[in-house]
Amino acid sequence: MHTTAVVDYGMGNLRSVVNALQKVAAKRHNIILTSDPRQLKQADRVVFPGQGAAGDCMRAIDEYGLREAIIDASRNRPFLGICMGMQVLFAHSEENQGTDCLGVFNGRVRYFGDSHKDQSGVKLKVPHMGWNGVRQKQQHPLWHSIEDNSRFYFVHSYYVEVEDVSLVAGTSDYGFSFTSVIASENVFALQCHPEKSANAGLQLLRNFLNWEGQA
Amino acid sequence: MILIPAIDLKEGQCVRLRQGRMDESTVFSDDPVAMAGKWVAQGCQRLHLVDLDGAFEGMPVNADVIEEICAAFPDLPIQIGGGIRTIDTVEAYLAAGVRYVIIGTQAVKNPEFVTQLCSEFPGNVIIGIDAKDGMVAVQGWAEDSDHTAMDLALRFEDQGVAAIVYTDIGRDGMMEGVNIEATCQLAEAIGVPVIASGGVTDMEDIKRLNAVKHSGIEGVIIGRALYERTISLEQAQAYIDQN
Repeated sequence: MHTTAVVDYGMGNLRSVVNALQKVAAKRHNIILTSDPRQLKQADRVVFPGQGAAGDCMRAIDEYGLREAIIDASRNRPFLGICMGMQVLFAHSEENQGTDCLGVFNGRVRYFGDSHKDQSGVKLKVPHMGWNGVRQKQQHPLWHSIEDNSRFYFVHSYYVEVEDVSLVAGTSDYGFSFTSVIASENVFALQCHPEKSANAGLQLLRNFLNWEGQA
Repeated sequence: MILIPAIDLKEGQCVRLRQGRMDESTVFSDDPVAMAGKWVAQGCQRLHLVDLDGAFEGMPVNADVIEEICAAFPDLPIQIGGGIRTIDTVEAYLAAGVRYVIIGTQAVKNPEFVTQLCSEFPGNVIIGIDAKDGMVAVQGWAEDSDHTAMDLALRFEDQGVAAIVYTDIGRDGMMEGVNIEATCQLAEAIGVPVIASGGVTDMEDIKRLNAVKHSGIEGVIIGRALYERTISLEQAQAYIDQN
């Protein structure tokens, strides 16, 4: 059996993520939801979702004693970050008057701003919520059978600003082009929600379960 | 999660029904465009229009009013349901400025229609599932079907629909509270966002829905509670945005 652990650190309902993974899982895949660092260390793959505010997420990660196990997984096994689970991989977030995050990657997480506008000056609502296209910026096994510019579902007010542009695996437009997907060795992480992105999202999750962690 | 005010149209007027019964309608305004303007002024981010006569006739009846609303508020995302049974109707609505068409009865009776719409108008199609005791109701709620709401939703999740509007018709217009459990269960089970509808009564409903929004609830349609002022659009949206 190949075990995929979905990290539960008490930041809300993860049934959607688990259900979507189970839907695309082959018989050899076992999907578990866990808060136990030992189970994370034993899992073959790790899915790291997240919702809510960065400060709350980081506090919860430490309260559950998961920091080291998450960082360890992000260095060693196929690792999928989703939404806040992508943001807190970076060094710092502007959210909650500044929050130090896991620092797996250099870069910071920035707020779209209260007066965010598109290029013609029309005010854009924050959070950015709804379907938006993702331009694929590198070839990657997780993009297998997913057309370039496929639409994914987003809900977020903050976005990632990478230091190393080679991390960028996908970009989307909301007022400007922002990094919506990153990839580095065994890590793939998205700002959008594959579990809410219909066929493209399900395909991405299927690809993840079949991925051995090489770009 | 966004609040989506509903304007239900019957003979050109803005009405609310109770449990979808045409003979139990309350007229709230004879000027639906002005009503739309009122919600826009209160920060409405999306509007839900229903052509009630259209739902019963199986073809658009209040299209003129709908086009007027679209023309008056070109930047406002509008979703419209009721009587959408042909590609031509969808094309006409989208050309008029409607963002999303909601397919209800036809999604049950003619699923291939949804498949075709999704491929021709990707991102513009919402499925409307009206359920009573977990079973789907069709034809302006006058008929029951033998499909469960969950099975129908799962059938469409990989077709490219933009969302599912889930309406508990036992509660719609009754001001008896939203069916949180069923809505949340559906949102957890399907791979597209869900819009909650039916029975939203007061801030307690908004708070309870907001607490489970991460299961994938992107919006909530509010009708009677706005018209009877048991919910303030501005205050409720502010609460959601801050929590």
